Amino acid sequence: MPREAEPSLSERTFTLQAISEGLRLDGRKLDEFRRLELSFGDEYGVADVKLGKTRHVQLLAKVSAEVTVPFADRPFDGIFQITSELGPMVAPSYEVNRPTETEVLLARLLEKTIRRSGALDTESLCLVAGQKCWSVRVDLHVLSADGNLIDSACFAVVAALRHFRKPDTSIEGETLTVYTPAEREPVPLSWLHSPFCATFDFFGDEGDIVVVDTTWLEEQLRVASCTFSLNKHGEICQISKLGGRPIEATLVIQCAQMALAKVKEFTDLLDAKLAEDAKRRDKGGLMAELSAENER
Amino acid sequence: MSSEPIFVLPGDRIDASLIPSHEKKPLRLGPGLRHVPPSDLVPTLAGQLVTDRQKNAIRVETANGRYIPRVGELVIGTVNKSAQEVYFVSLSDYTAPALLPQLSFESATKKTRPILLPGALVYARCVSASTGKADGLGPLVGGMLFTISLGMSRLLMMPKKAQQGRLVVLDELADAGVQFETATGRNGRLWVDSDSTKAIIAVGRAIQETDEKSLGVDEQRRLVKKLIKELS
Repeated sequence: MPREAEPSLSERTFTLQAISEGLRLDGRKLDEFRRLELSFGDEYGVADVKLGKTRHVQLLAKVSAEVTVPFADRPFDGIFQITSELGPMVAPSYEVNRPTETEVLLARLLEKTIRRSGALDTESLCLVAGQKCWSVRVDLHVLSADGNLIDSACFAVVAALRHFRKPDTSIEGETLTVYTPAEREPVPLSWLHSPFCATFDFFGDEGDIVVVDTTWLEEQLRVASCTFSLNKHGEICQISKLGGRPIEATLVIQCAQMALAKVKEFTDLLDAKLAEDAKRRDKGGLMAELSAENER
Repeated sequence: MSSEPIFVLPGDRIDASLIPSHEKKPLRLGPGLRHVPPSDLVPTLAGQLVTDRQKNAIRVETANGRYIPRVGELVIGTVNKSAQEVYFVSLSDYTAPALLPQLSFESATKKTRPILLPGALVYARCVSASTGKADGLGPLVGGMLFTISLGMSRLLMMPKKAQQGRLVVLDELADAGVQFETATGRNGRLWVDSDSTKAIIAVGRAIQETDEKSLGVDEQRRLVKKLIKELS
C-alpha cells in the first residue's frame, strides 16, 4: 500500500504560524470559503461540484431509480441509499474495497445528514404496499480531494437529488405503468428540506482559532474539527465532533451561527442553479403543460 | 528557429522543415518524441515543440507529469526516516523513497554528521553512485514548501528565466523590495524563506498563480502589484 503523503516539518510550522497570524497560504481569510462551482449534467440527477481552482475538490454525484420490492419490515417505504467511494484517483493511498477512516466517516455523515434527517420522503417512493417501490440510489464519486470533503460531498448529493426526476407512474387496479420520458414528463422526488454540512476546524494551543474550508495541508494540522448539518431554517440535523481537543461551549454556539449563514448561502446557490437549469431545459416554455404531476 | 511556438498533439505529423539537421552531430530526441523507422518522428505527448539547432536536438515541452529522477538534477526532498548510514528521502508523494547517505553532507564525518528529524527538508542532487560531496546543498531550515508543476520548476531553474522563460514574478517582487530566499527542486518543489510570514505567502502565491494560469509577462507584473498592495 503506498505511503500516505505527509507534510514536511517546514510546511507544518509555517502553516501553523501563518494561521496564528490570521493568514492562509492561498490568501483567503480564516472564515472564507473557496469558490463553489456547481454544474448539472444533461441527464437528470447528475451534479458536478468543484471547490477551488487548480488544487481543488471535485465530486460527481449521480442519482438513479429503479422499481424493486420493498423491505419486508417496511412495506410502506421506498428504498433510499447513498454510496460514496474514494478511489485511487484521489490519492494512491486510497484503495478500492478497502475503506479508509475518511471514507467511512464521510459515508456515515452523509447518511446522518440526508437520510436520517428525513430530507427525502421515503413513503412517497412506495408504489404498491409491500410489493413495489422505488429504490433511489445516489452514487458519489470523489474525483479529487484537497480538504473539506464533507461539506462539498453533502452539497453534491443534495444538489443531485434536488435535480433528479424519476419516471412518472400510474396504477389502475392491479397494473402498474411506468412511463418513459417521451410519454410523460418525469417527476421530481418528494423533497422535504435541504440539509447542508458546514465544517469548522480549530487551531492553536487552546483550539480557539476557527478556520473554515480547510485545505488538505491545513486538515493535517488541526487540533479538532466539528461538523454541523442544518437546513436554512436553522434546524440542526446533527453535530459531530469526533475526538480532538475539547472546545469551549461558546465557540460551538458561535460556529452554529456561522454555519447557519453559510447554509443559507448554499441554499441560495443551489436554488439559483436549479432555476437556471430548469430554464435551460424548458425550451418553448412547455414544461408546465407537459408535467402531469400534482402540486403538493 | 521560428518565433511562433509550435504545438503538437500525440500522433501529429511533424513537418520536415521543423526538424533540425546538422552535418556532423546526430539528431538527439528529447522527451515526448518517438522515432518510427525509417524516418518518421511522432510526438507522444501534447505540448510545445522545442528545437535546438546548435545541439541538433528536438523535444516536446510539457508542464505536467510525474517526476522521474535523473542524474544531476537538483531536488528538494522530505526526510521520511533515518537508517544507520542513510536517510530515506521522499521526492514526490506516494513514490518509493530515495536514499541520501548521511556522509554526503558538506564536511560531514562519522562524528559530525547532521541529524535530521523525519519531515525535515533537504536540497540535494540526484547521483547514481555517491562519491562527491555537497556544494551549496544541504538541509533547508524553516521557510515553506510550495508544490509547483514540473514545467514551472524547469523554468525557475533556467539561468536567464526572464528572457527565455518569460518569467518575471520573482524579479519583480525583489525589485519591489520584498526580501526572500528561494530554492527550486526539479521535482516540482519550491522552498521559500523570508523574515515575514506575509512575504513567504506572497512569493508562493505569485509563483503558483503564474503556474496555474500560465500568466504572460504583463499579467505577472499586475499580479505582483496586487500582492505588494496586500503586503503593505
